[in-house]
Amino acid sequence: MAKKELRVALFLAWRSLVRGNRSSMLLNVLIISMVFTNMMFFPALMSGIGVDIKEQIVAYQTSNILIEPAKGDQYISDLDTTLAQVNGMPGVERATPHYQMGATLKFRGRLLGTTIHAIRPREEKYVSPLYTTMIAGSYLGDGDKGEAIIGELVAGSPNIPEEDEFNPSLGGVRVGDSILVEFGNGFQKEYRVKGIFRTGNFEMDNRVIVTWEDMEEVVGEPLDYAPYITVRVKPDYSETFVKNEILQYGLREKVQTTEDLLNKGIGRALASFSIIGLISMLVSLVIAIVVLFIVIMIKTLNNRRQIGILKAIGVEKSVIMHSYGLQVIILSLAGILVGFLFTGLIVVYMTYYPMVTPEFSATPYVTPLDLAFNGIILFAASVVSGYLPAWRVARENIQNVIRV
Amino acid sequence: MSSGCEHMIEIQDLRKIYQMGQVEVKALDGVSLTIDKGEFIGIMGPSGSGKSTLLHLLGLLDDPTSGSIQIEGIDVSRLTDWERTMFRLYKLGYVFQDYALVPELTVKENICLPAMLRTDREEKDYIAATRDILHKIGLWDRRDHLQSELSGGQQQRVAIARAIVNTPDILFADEPCANLDTENSRMVLDLFKQINQEMQQTIVMVSHEDWHKEYFDRIVRLKDGKMVNGGR
Repeated sequence: MAKKELRVALFLAWRSLVRGNRSSMLLNVLIISMVFTNMMFFPALMSGIGVDIKEQIVAYQTSNILIEPAKGDQYISDLDTTLAQVNGMPGVERATPHYQMGATLKFRGRLLGTTIHAIRPREEKYVSPLYTTMIAGSYLGDGDKGEAIIGELVAGSPNIPEEDEFNPSLGGVRVGDSILVEFGNGFQKEYRVKGIFRTGNFEMDNRVIVTWEDMEEVVGEPLDYAPYITVRVKPDYSETFVKNEILQYGLREKVQTTEDLLNKGIGRALASFSIIGLISMLVSLVIAIVVLFIVIMIKTLNNRRQIGILKAIGVEKSVIMHSYGLQVIILSLAGILVGFLFTGLIVVYMTYYPMVTPEFSATPYVTPLDLAFNGIILFAASVVSGYLPAWRVARENIQNVIRV
Repeated sequence: MSSGCEHMIEIQDLRKIYQMGQVEVKALDGVSLTIDKGEFIGIMGPSGSGKSTLLHLLGLLDDPTSGSIQIEGIDVSRLTDWERTMFRLYKLGYVFQDYALVPELTVKENICLPAMLRTDREEKDYIAATRDILHKIGLWDRRDHLQSELSGGQQQRVAIARAIVNTPDILFADEPCANLDTENSRMVLDLFKQINQEMQQTIVMVSHEDWHKEYFDRIVRLKDGKMVNGGR
């Protein structure tokens, strides 16, 4: 189409928008913006949940790299040597061991089966932000004996009767209380609760944590072995790089990055989130196409006679078609921009007030690529759904449309 | 394609048959007619006589079932859809019964719209032409008003201005006074006559008002799709 014709089409489109029914135009922009927001919001929330789960797992369970015993072994042996090797590698912020043993907790007549985890508190600070999540009391110190920190879900609430509890707990343990712990090996010991933590991670908040020295007492020997080591990677290094370094160094243990673990573990759940998000996006897109198609179809049908008159006075049908198409383009661009704004406001709001569930706290996760991709998809859908009815009416016989 | 003839329009044995279900309706039944440059022709006749059909065929808004139409020696039935559009843009002007202005455009914008599409006209040309026409029709002061702010007579004068902005070879008017009172009708007819005389504008107008005939150079009367007098 020649520049002159495009100019006339734009002229007609713009005049129609600014001098036509203003409330109808605003409604159309609002509909498109809502569709865009809907396209963005649900998938972003799903991504946000995924990101949150990943971050929690990295923060409290596996860190960036998890080292586990080689196939056939129960433990990583010669622990201190292994830790020294790993800690000396480029890109490693800190590697720290974990030990765990099943146990039964007893507190004021309540019994609770759980796993007791042993950590080296000072080293753990480099690997996990657990120490920042204390909601009562304080974090463990190296060498603490007879003291434990417990998750909020283990502590429970004194206001909820045992039979009403969704998640079994000790029914309201407070800092300073004593808990009797019966370990899986038969060892019994009373621990004073030094602190209670809340991470927001279901599994973590169900843990009881003691010091490495305490666990050595339970096991009855020095713990120069561990079921797993977590490794924090320095910010400028990639997990894969550090993993490869560790493997190249000749460590025979099983070394996995977070990505490796997520792909195996919750990878399918995250993939399901992505599929749900994609379906939601497609449904929104179909709504957008149908709404815009109807809006432009009604507009062109109402203007059939005028379209016929324009053709009669020598306006080319391509000019007429583009004048309606350009109206849709302008409406959809305005709608997408308003949608950007709505989405941004929702993201900002939910960053401060996330959607909290027992499993995770979700904030929509939106990247510029998501915004651009959804914007382009909606724009393309708008153009097609707007041009189609305009094209149909513009090519009708003048006599047919002029007699309306 | 030009035959060098002096007639502006020459039609031969023009027929238009509409199929209404099982019934054939002969809207035009063998009309032959010539119209010369500068003539102001009135097409008159009772309702259903084929006046508007003839006008639409002459104005390339519809296709005849049979017969030929030559305008300035060009057999317009051979033109493609795009050529017909261009023919209408460059050579023909239309005034419709219900004015048919674009409601979102001002008086000035409605008038210059057809001229904006012509490749042989610069912006300054059609702005000047629009200004001159607005003065001619006495609506310069209303140039920035929308259709909804004009009376019926004013709207029809704008429609006439739009039709002549491209200085067409032929101006077609389909009952342009049908929605107007006598005073406004006379104003519009006076304007047509003025254009016809001052610009040697060929005008073909459909009318059913008997008193309009005083404005026409020649009257073509139709009845039941046939021409009963006025043909040449």
